[in-house]
Amino acid sequence: MKPIVLYGRGAYPGVAEGFAVVCPDSIAGNTGGLGDTDGVIYEAGSSARGQCIAGKILVLPGAKGSNGFSAHFKAAAISGFAPAGWIVTRMDSRIGGAIVSLRTPAVTDFADADPLSVLETGDYIRVDGTNGVVTVWKKAPGTGRRNITAKESGICPGRRNC
Amino acid sequence: MLRLTEYEQAMLEGGFGPFRQAAMRVICDYAQVLGAKELCTVRRATLFIGAHHYLDAFSPEEDYTRIFSEFYLNREEPIPFDRMAPECAAQTCAAAADLDDWEATHLGEAFVRRNNAWLGAASGVGVSIVNSCTPYYAGWVPLQGEHFVTNESSNTLMSNSVFGAYGNADGVETAVCAAITGRTPKWGMHVKENRRGDVLFRVETDPADAYDWDLLGYTVGRYLPPHGKPVLSGISRRPDVNMLRQCFSSLASTSAAEICHIAGLTPEARDVPDALGGLAPRRTVTITGREIAQSLAMLCDAGEGPVDLVSVGCPHLSLEELRDLAWALEGKAVATGTDFWIWTDYATQHMAARSGYVAAIEKAGAKVLNSSCPLVMRERSHRQYRAMVLNGAKQAHNIRAQTDAAVYFGDLRACVRAALRGAWEGGSR
Repeated sequence: MKPIVLYGRGAYPGVAEGFAVVCPDSIAGNTGGLGDTDGVIYEAGSSARGQCIAGKILVLPGAKGSNGFSAHFKAAAISGFAPAGWIVTRMDSRIGGAIVSLRTPAVTDFADADPLSVLETGDYIRVDGTNGVVTVWKKAPGTGRRNITAKESGICPGRRNC
Repeated sequence: MLRLTEYEQAMLEGGFGPFRQAAMRVICDYAQVLGAKELCTVRRATLFIGAHHYLDAFSPEEDYTRIFSEFYLNREEPIPFDRMAPECAAQTCAAAADLDDWEATHLGEAFVRRNNAWLGAASGVGVSIVNSCTPYYAGWVPLQGEHFVTNESSNTLMSNSVFGAYGNADGVETAVCAAITGRTPKWGMHVKENRRGDVLFRVETDPADAYDWDLLGYTVGRYLPPHGKPVLSGISRRPDVNMLRQCFSSLASTSAAEICHIAGLTPEARDVPDALGGLAPRRTVTITGREIAQSLAMLCDAGEGPVDLVSVGCPHLSLEELRDLAWALEGKAVATGTDFWIWTDYATQHMAARSGYVAAIEKAGAKVLNSSCPLVMRERSHRQYRAMVLNGAKQAHNIRAQTDAAVYFGDLRACVRAALRGAWEGGSR
């Protein structure tokens, strides 16, 4: 299947690849919403609850909740559970702080399509934060299975649902 | 492309020492991530630092200078502490523990001592120990047009919306670096043109007290689209600062709002057109009793039953609320087997003690605590409780990620009632 390409603004340079975790309602930055030492999303009511962010490409509309948002991502990163990259519909200060603190590639402020309407959890993504380009390999439709297997093993050091 | 002044460039190149150089590197990277073209001068800061649980990845024995460097300055090697920017009044946000108690809150002496040691290191470089999520009660008030950073989301809303000061919802790391350098990216809420409201809320519920405003903020946040800047219209009764405190804390729990105009009340909202900058809103939402009732159902578990923890003071309570609690508890006794925690900052706690309120409250068996709250102290402080009553929607919303206990939500009178009876008997007010 031909990959889909989205163009935005490169917010943090570098290239990262991984499977998408799409969070249409974002992730609450409040204490306890994201596990500081295991990188697991615990926020009650979140569609991504139980997912581990380690090695993933996080796809978010922006941040929400406490201004402590970035600190919990930084804590998870220091514990060994950093996301590989970020795709953010529109930049804001909470998520900007997280990106600079983790120093991981990010693309934001998309010109054409909202990535939330194109991407699904499980899609394979390349984030080129230097040039502001996102390349998407969709998972196989209807099966819930990915249509590629490359780099699948060892991509996530997390303990649960990685 | 980011433009720096000569002073900022010199700081980036190390002319003011390695501590400020490392922080300026982070601020410049932050500006690039945001897309800012220049920096602005920060006059006030509140920082969520100390032995907070986001530092649990580090060993308790780890050298705090190394922790500080890695976590806040993005540097692997320890950078020796130096002074914060003298032009910026920096102080601590809510802390990981009460300054003195480790028994009532179940945290243990070692943890509280470590928290105080790390707070002491912060005050050594010029971050005053205030430990408040309501810093305006103790004199932290940025003026109209003044640039600030704060890690307390309700304070971002209060300072932007009510004081007319300029600040974003900054993360801990970038706020620390802003306080060290006295600079932050001139972006977002720091730019006047970005501050106009764009989502109009027609409020039909006539909020009258802190409880009403708490539920209103929670509800507005539920309906606010991402990046929305709400304008509240239809407010007929003038709220006080305690009511707005509740509104902004819950609004920042269900949304990422950084500014909330209230037509006819807040300085950038003389009326609805003024708040919207003369433009049409991108969305209009009507808030009725139905939406408020839905919020209450989300915050307060159904049913009745015994409770073993009542905690009020999210955000931290004001002096006059401590007086009201002293009056409400006069001649009464908290039920055996129920802990009743009342949270404020320690400056207000001292004033309440001198005024006789603390003694009256504690005579009834409740406990006045400072600096923190169950949510910030996390599971160790509340894991033994099976049912809790809380007065803050922010607390009642977020504590659910930390506990399987029953969570009931009510106003201060309902909380007092539950503490005296040792039971939740329904009725949130």
